[in-house]
Amino acid sequence: MAAGRDSDAVRVGVLFSQTGATAVIESTQLNGTVLAIEEINAAGGIDGRALEPVIHDPGSRPSRFSVLADRLLTEDGVNVIFGCYMSSTRKAVLPVVERRNGLLFYPTLYEGFEYSPNIIYTGAPPNQNSVQLADYLINEFGARFYLVGSDYIYAYESNRIMSDLIRERNGAVVAEKYVTLDARAGGFDAIIKDIKRTRPDVIFSTVVGKATTHFYRAYAEAGLEPDMMPIGSLSTSEAEVQDMGVAAACGHVTAAPYFQTIDTEVNRRFVKAYKARFGADKATNMCCEAAYFQVHLMANAMRKVGTDNTDILRPALMGAEYGAPQGQVRIDPDNNHTYLWPRVGRVDDEGLFAMVRGALRAVKPDPYLVTHSLDDWSAKLATVGS
Amino acid sequence: MRPKSSRSSNQLLRSLRSLRVLVAHPGDRDGEELVRHIQRIGCQVQAIWPPPAVLPPTMDVVFLAVRPDVSLDHLEWIDGDDDPVVVAIIDYENPTVLEAVLDIGAMAVVGAPVRPFGVLTNLVVALKAHRESREQRQRIRKLDGKLNGIRRMTKAKTILMESRGVSEEEAYKTIRDQAMARRVATEDIANAIINAEGLLNFE
Repeated sequence: MAAGRDSDAVRVGVLFSQTGATAVIESTQLNGTVLAIEEINAAGGIDGRALEPVIHDPGSRPSRFSVLADRLLTEDGVNVIFGCYMSSTRKAVLPVVERRNGLLFYPTLYEGFEYSPNIIYTGAPPNQNSVQLADYLINEFGARFYLVGSDYIYAYESNRIMSDLIRERNGAVVAEKYVTLDARAGGFDAIIKDIKRTRPDVIFSTVVGKATTHFYRAYAEAGLEPDMMPIGSLSTSEAEVQDMGVAAACGHVTAAPYFQTIDTEVNRRFVKAYKARFGADKATNMCCEAAYFQVHLMANAMRKVGTDNTDILRPALMGAEYGAPQGQVRIDPDNNHTYLWPRVGRVDDEGLFAMVRGALRAVKPDPYLVTHSLDDWSAKLATVGS
Repeated sequence: MRPKSSRSSNQLLRSLRSLRVLVAHPGDRDGEELVRHIQRIGCQVQAIWPPPAVLPPTMDVVFLAVRPDVSLDHLEWIDGDDDPVVVAIIDYENPTVLEAVLDIGAMAVVGAPVRPFGVLTNLVVALKAHRESREQRQRIRKLDGKLNGIRRMTKAKTILMESRGVSEEEAYKTIRDQAMARRVATEDIANAIINAEGLLNFE
């Protein structure tokens, strides 16, 4: 029995960019959100009340995120917002949700060191991806790293952490270069030249958005070899791979809690539903998976307490669990972040990620961890595949 | 471009999780919020109210609520070199409260209602300010000592020069030879000379 569309509907805000520098990845998060909402409504909504998404396009600009978040919470009759990719946009929304006492669900990896009672974080802070990536790359390729990133806080902080880990293993940071967020195709020429000259073991990339495509393609055009000197990333997902093409992506490495290739019944169902809804050629990724499961977490919590009022809904979210496509996830009451399943994958010749490392159990989020260590084996991943 | 970090700042941040923190604040919602957030940061936290005259051992940092109606005069752990870093928590900004904040030697301030954002930064800024202040005080003490030593040496030399009619070099040599013969520091001989002169010239 599908839930009817009536004034009893629960309006929820959706704030993902459909235009601008990070539209490629954010539109998949919009898709994941919409898919979950439609599933929930098809199954009767929240005790007969349909979830009604109120969708705005902030165009990848933090100022627009701020204005639209406020509009959602004041004019649009919304209390819960699903949204944001870049940290700058989350920072712009934070004071708005705190002032209006709304609730933001944030489904994206980020640099940590944040907590708000008005945000639920369902993406990975560094302790759930950086160490795992460093461990794999150093063990398989070596500890001479070349760091390339987009010029913003996420890249600086990720590079700080990576540099610490590299030094721990007596490795070296060969160079640390930044490009503007709107870097174009030619913007990587000098860097590629320098990479050829210095011959690192690994390139660690914190380039995000459309520039990712330009970077990986520049690497491929220069004839460099991913088997010898891969690009390792925390953010390059199936969506970026599709944008840049398999030829440019093949052989490079990403650490993430989710890949489309996860071989479980729950994930297969999710991937099937996603492709049926958005196109057989569309791939799922870590950002749309988090966008998807966070809606279900919210809906389940709302069913328990009967309201989306933040002060009543939040306690129901603390410790809440859900069988997500990546595995059983749980919101950590200590810090509003989520227990996730870190993994490492390499792009295969079909443009999907072959898993090389997988978590044996969900890892507790620790967003205020300053010093990461490869000697800490409590979150060590199991080797997967050949 | 990314700002370059200094070694000492880096070390300070790395040591955060070994800090022992006391939150001296009423056990209300604000107090609980603060305790929980310091736990998130990873420090070991204890909480107590009213503020104790004597601290539990080895506290590194105290977040102290400055309340107009609660006296802080009896606290024995304020503003000494080995005392913990104090971060004040204030719910008013008037001069009465501000004077109290300054008197307890607070190195940073958190405003009520307590928001998580800013706690970590104030903690870190206070730690650095406290450390620098302590290092400077130690340095000043050392320099004072050195300066005093030089003054006393000069005075002792002058006494010898006047009483024996010798040059400055000879006076210094005398002091040094005496020190070596008695196996004491030259400062001790200089002090002895000054004291003796005071006694011998007693009217």
